Amino acid sequence: MPLTADEQVLRHDVIVLGGGLAGMRAALEAARGGADVAVVSKVYPTRSHSAAAQGGINAAFSAEDSWEKHAFDTVKGSDYLGDQDAIEVLCREALQDIMELEHMGVIFNRNEDGRLALRPFGGAGFPRTCYVADITGQAILHVVWEQLVKARITCYAEWVATSLVVQDGRCRGLVALEMRSGKLHTLEAKAVVLATGGLGRIYEPSTNGLICTGDGMALAYRAGAALMDMEFTQFHPTTLYPSGVLITEGARGEGGYLLNSKGERFMATYASQRLELASRDVVSRAEQTEIEEGRGVNGCVLLDVRHLGKKVILTRLYQIYELAHDLAGVDLLEEPVPVRPGTHYQMGGVKTDVDGRTSMPGLYAAGECACVSVHGANRLGGNSLLETVVFGRRAGKAAAEEVRQVPFAGLSSAPGRDEHAHITELLQRGERGGLRSAVVRKEMGNAMREGAGVFRDSEGLAQTLETVRGLKGRYQKVAVQDKGGIFNTDLVSLLELGNMLDLAETMVVGGLARQESRGAHFRRDFPERDDINWLRHTLAFYTAEGPRLEYAPVTCVRWQPERRTY
Amino acid sequence: MQAHLRVRRFDPEEPAPQPRYQDYTVEAEDYFTVLDALIKIREEEDGTLAVRCSCRSSVCGSCAMRINGHATLACKTKLTDASKGRDVVLVEPMGNMPVVKDLVTDLQSFWDKVWAVEPFLQPQGPVPEQEYLASNESMVHLTGVMNCIMCGACVSDCTVLAVDPNFLAPAALAKAYRFVADPRDGASKERLRALSQYGGIWDCTRCLECVQVCPKDVAPMDRIMTLRDKAMQAGYTSTYGARHTIAFSELLKESGRLDELRLPVMTFGIFNLPRMLSLVPVGLRALVRGKMPPIFHRAIPGVEHIRRSFRSAEAKR
Amino acid sequence: MKYAFFPGCVSRGGCSELYPSAVAVAEKLGIELDELTSASCTGAGVLQEKDQRLGDTLNARTFAMAEQKGLPIMTICSTCQGVMSQANHRLTHDPSYLAEVNQELKPEGLEYRGTVTIKHLLWILMEEIGADNLRPLITRPLTGMRVAPFYGCYILRPSWALGLEEAPERETSLERVIELVGAEPVDFPGKSLCCGFPILTINEKNSLAMVARHTGDARERGADAMVTPCPLCHLNLDGYQPKAASTHGSKPDMPILHLPQLLGLAMGLSPRVLGLQRHIVSASRLLDKVKVRA
Repeated sequence: MPLTADEQVLRHDVIVLGGGLAGMRAALEAARGGADVAVVSKVYPTRSHSAAAQGGINAAFSAEDSWEKHAFDTVKGSDYLGDQDAIEVLCREALQDIMELEHMGVIFNRNEDGRLALRPFGGAGFPRTCYVADITGQAILHVVWEQLVKARITCYAEWVATSLVVQDGRCRGLVALEMRSGKLHTLEAKAVVLATGGLGRIYEPSTNGLICTGDGMALAYRAGAALMDMEFTQFHPTTLYPSGVLITEGARGEGGYLLNSKGERFMATYASQRLELASRDVVSRAEQTEIEEGRGVNGCVLLDVRHLGKKVILTRLYQIYELAHDLAGVDLLEEPVPVRPGTHYQMGGVKTDVDGRTSMPGLYAAGECACVSVHGANRLGGNSLLETVVFGRRAGKAAAEEVRQVPFAGLSSAPGRDEHAHITELLQRGERGGLRSAVVRKEMGNAMREGAGVFRDSEGLAQTLETVRGLKGRYQKVAVQDKGGIFNTDLVSLLELGNMLDLAETMVVGGLARQESRGAHFRRDFPERDDINWLRHTLAFYTAEGPRLEYAPVTCVRWQPERRTY
Repeated sequence: MQAHLRVRRFDPEEPAPQPRYQDYTVEAEDYFTVLDALIKIREEEDGTLAVRCSCRSSVCGSCAMRINGHATLACKTKLTDASKGRDVVLVEPMGNMPVVKDLVTDLQSFWDKVWAVEPFLQPQGPVPEQEYLASNESMVHLTGVMNCIMCGACVSDCTVLAVDPNFLAPAALAKAYRFVADPRDGASKERLRALSQYGGIWDCTRCLECVQVCPKDVAPMDRIMTLRDKAMQAGYTSTYGARHTIAFSELLKESGRLDELRLPVMTFGIFNLPRMLSLVPVGLRALVRGKMPPIFHRAIPGVEHIRRSFRSAEAKR
Repeated sequence: MKYAFFPGCVSRGGCSELYPSAVAVAEKLGIELDELTSASCTGAGVLQEKDQRLGDTLNARTFAMAEQKGLPIMTICSTCQGVMSQANHRLTHDPSYLAEVNQELKPEGLEYRGTVTIKHLLWILMEEIGADNLRPLITRPLTGMRVAPFYGCYILRPSWALGLEEAPERETSLERVIELVGAEPVDFPGKSLCCGFPILTINEKNSLAMVARHTGDARERGADAMVTPCPLCHLNLDGYQPKAASTHGSKPDMPILHLPQLLGLAMGLSPRVLGLQRHIVSASRLLDKVKVRA
């Protein structure tokens, strides 16, 4: 029997699922709050996709700036779908959290006076993005990991969560597969914090790492928690052809141009004030329009940074200089690099309040897998890293406080044994030559790109929904070639695919229902924003027949919706 | 194009597990990296092939492995480059660590060593309300080390680790440098003291392997060399390593060239009887064969200019 | 063909057999040598631990002297080659750095303009003389001799400082020389690894372990001898082979040849001129094998 089930139940007050920035920040804060914490992550924490964030992290602290301005830009960027109470928390607490990161050791770039330097970013009225060259995510992720090491927090790395354990409506823990041994463990917790990041691999291609398969969102969804605003997926304006790897917004923040095949800075047509630094949804649509109207270059537009000079490129944009060289064969000092819009970030996720509480007791969420909602219909660059630390901290704190009042339920190892039976059955499915999970995943990815991409309409979305539902049927027949227990990535791919298919369905169903255009969700058949009918959040609940939608109001405290131009 | 890969496989669940090589032929696009090819194999041909990977853009550090004998990131290695002048691209797991399965290695000892250098900032004094003031130069300098994604490539190919598992090895030492060189860290002296011990900075042979294979230009060995200098400056000069470097420099300053007879004497100390005696058999053998440096060491012409350069460098430090 | 000759310290010190054998071989090859008698030690990477800029200054001084002669530099030591190549790479890739270093050279009336090339004898053989010109000089082919190449770190890494990207054949040049002299190259895992010499006085245990491993690997793969373009590797692999063997339970029987010795033997030079009698591990069995009288 290659897979085994651990008879022992592992117990921790708080279990954080996900070892990226939000997860580790939550774990640190929960530990500070006195809880016994463990991080469960399907990769070693430093491998998490937070490392790929390049450009920076926002905080309004320059003399002319204020948290209110940051909040307004975020609200406007969200196309008024963001909850303004949550956005206030994000922007008010930004500085405190960034200072704490600095004290932990993040090597933020400085001004002449030795204080934190800021760079301009898209959709922002002022330069308010702190940065470490173009490796900001990596530089922060590693430092927070250092703090995890310092705090001696238990970390179960390369453990893949397969389900949440829910008893009497409360989340009591989870079951996870230890890849190294092929053992299924039952882990009991008084509170579980989901911090599993994004789901970009649902699309083909994507800037996201191969691990970004929405696991936490899917686990929560199937366990009964509400997902929110899943139809809002961000397409980043500058991704490399063909791999889809990210080229930082910092390239435009530093002054890079976007050019069409005629050599025109076409953004002047679409955003006469902010040009290349309009919000991402605006820039991506502009690029897509240029490409579709025949002014593209092999399905791309061109990003030109040559005029920034060697010094700026090699110090502040070194990573993308390397990536362009390695993956596209382009020397950024000498020529522009072809880029196109690509799936980058999921605005929607597990619905939470500002302390990370989901609709299910005992279950918290933070970071990209959560939807607070601070990004609404479109996220601003530099706000995602910020979200991970602000709401990771708050979720960790709230969880640690809650668990003081909650006893362990005394789980048996039955959940692990049940999963063991289920996964063993999966493992026995099919033989060599059977349907491969990658085939199903790619079909899903192509259908999502075509039908639920930068531009959408009812026909395309309906077609995509049909495809996704068809693939859910075929998923039952996918074969697992690797029959072993140890480091079975074939099996893990299958589990991830199941997660992605469930989520893809919520994204398309939500998008089909939303008959308006807002932020990243642009319906050609409903090209205007409709605040009368659609200034509201989409909630998706799991049923065996597919997602059941509900709607919830948007919190508008300070700013009423206005026409949005850049 | 068609690419041929020879992959070292290892299945720990076989009755008597043995590594073996398996050949694959991949229909590859021009832009493919070695990782793209491995993923294609895994997805289309052989789902049992185990490989770690995620970001595809050299930041997560998952896919370090040996390609054509040297450690690197599979996602950073173009298949066309790896195939150049070869019939087959050789793909193997990293060295200096146990293999879990196929290309997946056990990095526990890697992490243990990183942890051993206390890899976290240890500031002294009260925490400021705002940020610590620091020069941009110092932060940009550290970016070069923070570029390390802890992929393990340098450790895989470290020649000292191959003979001595106790060596901290390049990644952990570069990580240590990151703190020693951080103007905000208050534990630099203590760190340098610890790093001067056996297994630390002085055990590096300067073979440059880590500088060569590092996919992120961290140049770990250069960091180790700077740590040596900082350790000597901090007063940790009693190790044989420090004594060797100091003696070498002094002899060079004196005559402009190496004095091979006096170097070991100065390194060990003339009164260090056990070490001096240990030189005797080697010296005798050399004497018998006439393989000895000249007893009377001559300075090079113009040595005064060398001495002046030394003085000028010392004044600048 | 004329070179500014940089023999390095060890070829006239601990490996005093290297200098005369190199000079003798150069003469056979028709290389005219103009020795840089006032040049200093490169710093060997050791001085660079303390002060890289000082090391670069000393090397810039040597380069300026060669530049004055209008000659490229020839080295016979992997370590000298590597340290000088690295210095030259830094100096020629950063004009402001070069200008600062030149300030130091001024009092001696020297200036380095960044035009010097530095080549090890090994590269000169393959790139300047060439196999076709070399072949006729091989009057005593070393047929039947199996030789394991041992490069020494500094002639291989870092590849960008040593021009290996532009001249990848340098990475296999020793094998081609072995073939040209009529011997058979033996591939073994240690050929590009460290000999252990730099830590000999610091961590002798590890240093000797490297000697034992490399000589043992070469023996296991049937080598009759090893050849190295680096006298520091020679010092360790030859000079410390008995001690390494005694601590690792093997036999100290792997002769280590300097590159010019291998060439010289094949060119008909006498083993005595080549200084083979000075080796710690005797080469007599090796000479018997190819029927050369010592």
